[in-house]
Amino acid sequence: MKGARTGIIASTLALCLMSGAALAQELRVTVWTGSEAHLKMLNGIAEPFIAKHPGVTVKFETVPVADYTQKLTFQVAGGNPPDAAWMMEDAAPAFENAGLLMDIGPTVKAAEGYDFADFSQPAMALWQNGETVYGIPFSTSPFMIYYNKDMFDKAGLEDPLALAAKGEWDMKKFQEVSKKLVEANPGKWAFEFKDGEGYASRMTHAVLPPIRAYGGEMWADGQCGFDKPEAVAAVQQLHDMVFKDKTIVPPGEQGDYFSGNSAMTVNQISRASKMPEAGFKWGIAPLPTGPGGEAPVIGQAALVVFEQGKNKQLAADLVAQMTTKENVAIMAQFFPPARKSVLESDAFINSNKLVPADQMKSIAAAIVNGRVHPAHEKVPQIFAAMAPKMDALWKPDANVEEALKGVCAAIQPLL
Amino acid sequence: MDLSRPETTARNDRAPWLTLKTREMLEAWLFVSPTVIGFLIFFLGPLVAVVYFSMTEWNLLSQKATFVGLDNFNDTLFKNPDFWHVVRNSVVFAIGLVPLNMALALTLALALSRPFFGVVFFRTVFFAPVITSAIAWAIVWKFLLQGEGGVINQMLALVGITGPNWLREPNWAMAAVIVTRVIKMVGLNMILYIAALQAVPRDYEEAARLEGASRWQVFTMVIWPLLAPTTLVILVITTIGSFKVFDHIYQMTGGGPENGTLVLAFYIYQQGFKFFNVGYAAALAMIMFVIVMALTLIQVWIRRRGTQ
Repeated sequence: MKGARTGIIASTLALCLMSGAALAQELRVTVWTGSEAHLKMLNGIAEPFIAKHPGVTVKFETVPVADYTQKLTFQVAGGNPPDAAWMMEDAAPAFENAGLLMDIGPTVKAAEGYDFADFSQPAMALWQNGETVYGIPFSTSPFMIYYNKDMFDKAGLEDPLALAAKGEWDMKKFQEVSKKLVEANPGKWAFEFKDGEGYASRMTHAVLPPIRAYGGEMWADGQCGFDKPEAVAAVQQLHDMVFKDKTIVPPGEQGDYFSGNSAMTVNQISRASKMPEAGFKWGIAPLPTGPGGEAPVIGQAALVVFEQGKNKQLAADLVAQMTTKENVAIMAQFFPPARKSVLESDAFINSNKLVPADQMKSIAAAIVNGRVHPAHEKVPQIFAAMAPKMDALWKPDANVEEALKGVCAAIQPLL
Repeated sequence: MDLSRPETTARNDRAPWLTLKTREMLEAWLFVSPTVIGFLIFFLGPLVAVVYFSMTEWNLLSQKATFVGLDNFNDTLFKNPDFWHVVRNSVVFAIGLVPLNMALALTLALALSRPFFGVVFFRTVFFAPVITSAIAWAIVWKFLLQGEGGVINQMLALVGITGPNWLREPNWAMAAVIVTRVIKMVGLNMILYIAALQAVPRDYEEAARLEGASRWQVFTMVIWPLLAPTTLVILVITTIGSFKVFDHIYQMTGGGPENGTLVLAFYIYQQGFKFFNVGYAAALAMIMFVIVMALTLIQVWIRRRGTQ
């Protein structure tokens, strides 16, 4: 009697658990934002999907950005990948080549009213291989010049946006105004590399825009480009600005733009959120052009679906839903879009309360024309090999050409 | 009245096969089982796993581990010049840190082992960095050690010295991380020395002084020999700690400049968590384990010889 009672209770519990598992399907999506506003928007976008799929829930899991790729990798290696995830551009080639990402092309192309061709082709380059689509970019953020208008006014200089409108904002002008800015603002710097990390974690983002402006590339088609004349000329100019002109914050010093210690920096549109508390007048302008013409650089992140995921088709449907024209337009308030229709819309030009329409237009132009940082599946190894050689470059007495040859010697075997 | 009888009977009714010896053994195992289980899961298991991983080629993204025997060790020891550079850096770090830390700790302990007004305050001041967050400590020092704008260089400029760009020149960067690490950790060794000094009987010192020994002779011939067991413990834990240093390097220099501060623990992190070469990183970890173990055994052996 006692045994029978125990059996009945156990069976009932097991049935309850099984039916619960069958009914509730949770889609896990990892993201690196913990912003309440971002998460509220994402949950709002997921709501119609949940309504359309009874019994399905969507959970956005925040993983801190500093360890994001590491933790994602460990989840995959542990056999417990999320169903979908935000993925950074530098991680994409390694995940793609390892066969970890699902081809979501058929799903998104078949989605009603999706219009896949609406995505800017340069923006899709990293996420597409022939007909195979590994991800849909949700954030295509160009690198722009942020400038301190007060410091330009004090020096009696036209700001970079005005110079760009006149077609005079080039690398030569950049060096020229930098000298005047330092003269007029003693104790301050004219330019700070992105996040003050130009000699460390952002060493390539420091040199990439000038190299492209001079018509070069860091590497392409398995060939190192650092030792080519265009790259040497670009880096030589930066080196002169750091050590001869003393206008760029040098290695080992702090010159935070956002605290008013540098007149210019390079960053993405998301940093505009820091500006209201900066306490000075500011603006956003395109990167300076050079002998090689315009050189917009974009940073990208995409939504991907994991091949090993338990609900991969459902996750692909969710990605299709999250990247429709309507939802990309909603996300554009925080994340610059890759859809041409959204980029060209007045809604996007007026979407950011902090950035005036004329500055948003230059952002939209940079998205359409921008190219991502050169990709490679061994980017971490390339950076590790490059770092000591770049340290040798950023010394006052360094021979720039020789130092860049050293960079190529270190990274070529990995390319 | 015999109170034990009914209890024994009750136990025997429930488990007549349980002898007293078996029951006591079972009870003993039950008591130690939380520790044993924890040891097996969190220490022995991972240790065995690392030994196995070190003999595999396993890239986390490729999702398959191939057994390669001792290839990882062969590659590390005989084919990878970076490894020897990293070992050299670790040895330089240890040679710089251990004597400096121990000398400073002993000096502070000698000054603060006896009661005087404010002694607790000074002990707290020197111990506080030990419990400060390593990352916060490194960030503050990174700020202080800036080239031209750093506080340290500005202070040096007041006395006519032009300070180097501390964290951007390989040799200075190593010196800077050693000194800032010593300042952070010296408080722990100071406390150990203070405890040892307070355990030295005052009679010995007084007897030596009566015999005409100077303060220096009392220290070198009476106190220092009595501190030997504590010195050995401090030497071992400081050496092990210096080979395991990671957080300080991670935040202050990232292994640079020009790999000048790339030490073994940071190199293991790079291979395992940046390049995802888990097998290779495990082999490096095994080598580090052997190095630290060998150094510890050498120190213990020297101490035993000295005692004999």
